[in-house]
Amino acid sequence: MKVYKYALPGAGILLSAAGCILAFTQIPESVGRAVLLIILLLFGILDMGYYFYFRRKFIDFSEEVCCHAERIMRNEEDRTQHNQETLVSKVVMELEKMDEVMQSRLSESSREKENLQKIISDTAHQVKTPLTSIRMYHDMLSDPDTDVNEKERFMDIIRQQLEKLEFLIDSLIKSSRLENDMIRLNMENSSVFHTLEISLNGMITKAERKKIDITIHCNPAVKVMHDAKWTAEALGNILDNAVKYTPERGNIRIDVIPGEMYVEIKIQDTGKGIAAGSYNDIFKRFYREASVSKEEGLGLGLYISRNIISLQGGYIMVHSVPGQGSSFSIFLPNRKNI
Amino acid sequence: MNILQTTNLTKYYGEEPVQVKALDGITLAVEQGSFTAIVGTSGSGKSTLLHMLGGLDTPTGGSVMVDGQELCRMKRSELTIFRRRKIGFVFQNYNLIPNLTVYDNIVLPVELDGRSVDISYFHEITAVLGLSDKLQRKPNKLSGGQQQRAAIARALITKPAILLTDEPTGNLDSHTSQEVIGLLQAAGKKFHQTIVMITHNDEIAQIADRIIRIEDGRLAESRW
Repeated sequence: MKVYKYALPGAGILLSAAGCILAFTQIPESVGRAVLLIILLLFGILDMGYYFYFRRKFIDFSEEVCCHAERIMRNEEDRTQHNQETLVSKVVMELEKMDEVMQSRLSESSREKENLQKIISDTAHQVKTPLTSIRMYHDMLSDPDTDVNEKERFMDIIRQQLEKLEFLIDSLIKSSRLENDMIRLNMENSSVFHTLEISLNGMITKAERKKIDITIHCNPAVKVMHDAKWTAEALGNILDNAVKYTPERGNIRIDVIPGEMYVEIKIQDTGKGIAAGSYNDIFKRFYREASVSKEEGLGLGLYISRNIISLQGGYIMVHSVPGQGSSFSIFLPNRKNI
Repeated sequence: MNILQTTNLTKYYGEEPVQVKALDGITLAVEQGSFTAIVGTSGSGKSTLLHMLGGLDTPTGGSVMVDGQELCRMKRSELTIFRRRKIGFVFQNYNLIPNLTVYDNIVLPVELDGRSVDISYFHEITAVLGLSDKLQRKPNKLSGGQQQRAAIARALITKPAILLTDEPTGNLDSHTSQEVIGLLQAAGKKFHQTIVMITHNDEIAQIADRIIRIEDGRLAESRW
């Protein structure tokens, strides 16, 4: 094909050049006219050939591409056009790529469905535990032989379990709304320090009770695009863990480090720490470290935090030395386009 | 759907009794759109594995399937085209071409394939990676983190079936490493890109959806 591509216009140019030479040389007029006519005729024929040749090529090309498009729709495999330098190969490989993207979107939605089912079964399981104990203590309360002191103790237990249930359901509603993108983020370029303040509000009394020293190193001028309310909640969950797992008279240090692409909010504590192998697990729904099963908690806090931060285009990273403390870095993008 | 599948992959160097088993029967699968980290200490065989996955080296035994195609059965010329269209690479030392601008570096793989650049996709990638205002600069005018971001953009521009990265943050300080790795993850999510990252660093690996640990050329652990 390449030879023809250059041969045809090449021949055309040669013929025209010959025509020009003829026109300017001293040849009898009639002979010159005849030769010119022949040249023009040849030129016309060549042009027609040129036209039909490429028309054929183009038809072949589109037929082949259509053929492959139909084959892809039928889900049939054919590797004859793979990894060639030809135009057909490029188009076919692009078409197949498009088909793969569509397939992967389909499988993604079915995966989402599976995920939802898993959430429902996990949740049912979590709700059952407090329900069972409430029923048990209720039965014991109805027993006329139970004495007054015991009755009061049972009432207390039931109240605690009801509170747990309420907290669980609140958290679940929150996490399901986060997961299904049902919350509307109110993104504003506002002060990180202010958001930290909100998140610390609920934490101060608990920290004071354990005599934990909290220090913040943050330039109040640092601003980042974020939703203050939800981000405060995410930070609050991490701070809550820091207070919970740091022994009395420990320290919590918060640093805000503005970077080129992200603003990092680093929360370091002097608590029990996390083993490197568990870095990914602690963000999973209902995950509890075996060593903290005594402490109160549902295993939803960090899961919710991670969801809130990733909805805003950020991410969380952990660094920890077991026995010495953990450090959680929350990265929020400092641009609008993520 | 598994975009990448290896079956009993082996790579031996030398002959018995001084044979080195760099890879010793690795069977693994990577799902489309996922971010997988392969973690191992130096000498565990992780880089050898990456070279096999990318068709940069031939295994002693076993097979590698990428996007339904068996790499070992391809001819050299086919493999070259396959790599160009289907596999993106990001290495530790960026490998940008010093006398080309950032723009030219990024679009290079598409132009090498004789195709025209999808400009709107190009702008999307460079915006996510924070390169929009640096396109006319030469690589040596960029910081290490920015150079690596340009390398990531260059790997993404062909919309490869799989993006292979080998210690992408090996030359960067810890804060920049965390930024680059965060952007890699953000870009992967945004463009539904399958990413396989090789690293020795657990801190970096935690960003992945799945961590595969390899020791002495064998799979030690794989979890989500």
